[in-house]
Amino acid sequence: MRKVLIIIKREYLVRVRTRAFMIGTIISPVLMLALITLPIFFATRGGGDRRVTVLDQTGDPDMFAAIKRSLEARGEGDDELNRRDPGVGRTNYTLTQRVIASGEDLHAVELQYQQQAAQDPNLTYLVLRPGSAEPLEVEYFAKNTSDFSIGSLERAINDAVSTLRLKRAGLNTAQIAAYTKRIEMKRNKITSSGVEEGGRADFVVAFIMLFFIYMTVLIYGLAVMRGVIEEKQSRIVEVLVSSVRPTQMMLGKVIGIGMVALTQVGVWALSALLLTTFGVSVFASRGLTMPNLPISLLIYFVVYFVLGYFLFSTLYALVGSTVSSEEEAQQAQIPVTILLVVPMMIFNMIMANPTSNASIALSMIPFFAPTLMMMRIAVVNPPLWQILLSMLIMVASILGCVWVAARIYRVGILMYGKRPSIAELGRWLRYS
Amino acid sequence: MNVIELNHVTKRFDQFVAVKDLSFEVRQGTIFGLLGPNGAGKTTSIRMIVNIFAPDEGDVLVMSKHVSPELQSRIGYLPEERGLYKKMKINDQLVFFANLKGVNSADAARRVDEWLSRLELSDWKHKKPGDLSKGMQQKVQFIASVIHEPDVMILDEPFSGLDPVSVSLLKNVILDLKQRGKTIIFSTHQMEQVEQMCDDICLINHGTQVLIGGLKEVKRRYGKNTVILDYEGPDSFLGEDLVKHHNRFPNYSEILLNDGADAQEVLKRALAAGARVNRFELVEPSLNEIFIESVTGKASSPNGGVRQ
Repeated sequence: MRKVLIIIKREYLVRVRTRAFMIGTIISPVLMLALITLPIFFATRGGGDRRVTVLDQTGDPDMFAAIKRSLEARGEGDDELNRRDPGVGRTNYTLTQRVIASGEDLHAVELQYQQQAAQDPNLTYLVLRPGSAEPLEVEYFAKNTSDFSIGSLERAINDAVSTLRLKRAGLNTAQIAAYTKRIEMKRNKITSSGVEEGGRADFVVAFIMLFFIYMTVLIYGLAVMRGVIEEKQSRIVEVLVSSVRPTQMMLGKVIGIGMVALTQVGVWALSALLLTTFGVSVFASRGLTMPNLPISLLIYFVVYFVLGYFLFSTLYALVGSTVSSEEEAQQAQIPVTILLVVPMMIFNMIMANPTSNASIALSMIPFFAPTLMMMRIAVVNPPLWQILLSMLIMVASILGCVWVAARIYRVGILMYGKRPSIAELGRWLRYS
Repeated sequence: MNVIELNHVTKRFDQFVAVKDLSFEVRQGTIFGLLGPNGAGKTTSIRMIVNIFAPDEGDVLVMSKHVSPELQSRIGYLPEERGLYKKMKINDQLVFFANLKGVNSADAARRVDEWLSRLELSDWKHKKPGDLSKGMQQKVQFIASVIHEPDVMILDEPFSGLDPVSVSLLKNVILDLKQRGKTIIFSTHQMEQVEQMCDDICLINHGTQVLIGGLKEVKRRYGKNTVILDYEGPDSFLGEDLVKHHNRFPNYSEILLNDGADAQEVLKRALAAGARVNRFELVEPSLNEIFIESVTGKASSPNGGVRQ
């Protein structure tokens, strides 16, 4: 055991001290953050001045003024709902009215504005006309229609129109405000431990966790494999085996590199925590709520990450011990990597129907459990027995894999030359 | 006292018998030469002594005990194929290897300093192996095998790739360790080194023992059947009837005589053929010659020393 600790210490320090590790640990959360926030930032930003010509065919003298007022009120509005509409604050809509007289040809006028809009993205136009089914039809024409703030424009028009109609029905301003106050539906998820708030960000959380487990297990599993190959190729094993049992070497390496992985994930988790505490305001100001991570989910994440890492890294160690060079390893590691990749290809299926028998069965397979069960936990909170069973299956598989890998490893690390066949590997298992 | 004992040891890998019924003993405080051609089973034998493999049959005893992980820390092993971690400083590697053998870090640090200065490597303490020449790396590997002050040392080709200065430095270190009562198993293909350093030898081929005993005794068994002849002129005078094997070196010839052949006859024929003889000496065969003969089976045994 003491020897295993010495090896763990070496494996850990040698990796943590590298510049690559420090950069990877610090830079990647920053990059990750940028990757997540920048698109949101740009998407919600909008910006610029839109000069909107309102081609008004309604013949209603108050309509245009109501819309204009509603839009102007939006940006600096002090009621709660209005503040949630950040887009409009960035994009400045200036409305001008162009009344279409009853005899005038709307299409001819439209064509003229269409040409203008094609030239300049800031020149847009809006058509208000009585529809055949609806009393009012509204159409917006612009070069860029993906701006988030257009939603705000739409809401402004809606508000204006309904307020105008209610006023004409005889209600006063105070009444209108009280009756049209929007109601927000809270989403609550029913779980085994009761009812939890939130749930709309489940998909994002599930996917991020799935992806994180996949990436880290892959990166660090391959690091274990490369470490084994390095020792074998440089013939350090020859020196080591006279001091340590091969099984101790293997365990020391797997645990040591695993702790490097945990360190890195820990730093990332910490920055995620900082992000959720200090960064939330940034998201909220853009109309997005940060997913609220329940602590139980984080614990499951760590457990499944550790289990998945152990399962795969022992297999990668096994592969490393049977090859003589990294080039050979490229091929030899494919079967193991496929086991890791399969869940990434079928996770959509599981996500669509996380409680089906097929999903439950797939999430029990030890090689898929770290990703698929983790995802199901994030999405549907499966019964505890399923979670425990999958963990039990994983622990049993890990013990089995360690046993097989250790027996092959102790022979493999001292074998050079031709890659062994499956039959030869079977014989290695039986060596005394 | 025998520090290492192998009793009828056999080791198989699938159908292949790497070591077959091998027995030998290594006395305390001696240098024991374990010899044999490539693939003879030397490395497998050594790996059984350092507890990397377990024998299929027979016993391997170190200090009268079956080898075990605990005994490993009393053995120092310098394998023929050896390496260092590329990304670790020399000091850190040596401390790591010492720790694995049960030396605490403080002792290890002190011993690393001592050994580095003894092998003239102090300036390289904080360098990585890539900055060292191959010879320097070899010396570092040697230190790794002795840093825990083992009672038994197994050195497989310790001098390969070293310049003559380093060889003599290392030789002195090894002889000094012997003086201090350490037991050394020495494996090499350099027969001159064996002649210089070993007390006892064991020659194995195809996993079986071919020749064993004290170095002097082994050579004596062959008797003085070798003529060293330094001459100028043609060598056609050496007839098939007299000579079993003839090694021509630039400055002299080593002639192994057939059994019962008279050395004087060689001299007579040489003179008769008109060669100028500068030196004529009847000696025991060199270990090199014994090795080649034993392994290729060209020679019959003079007195039971060679088993086929």
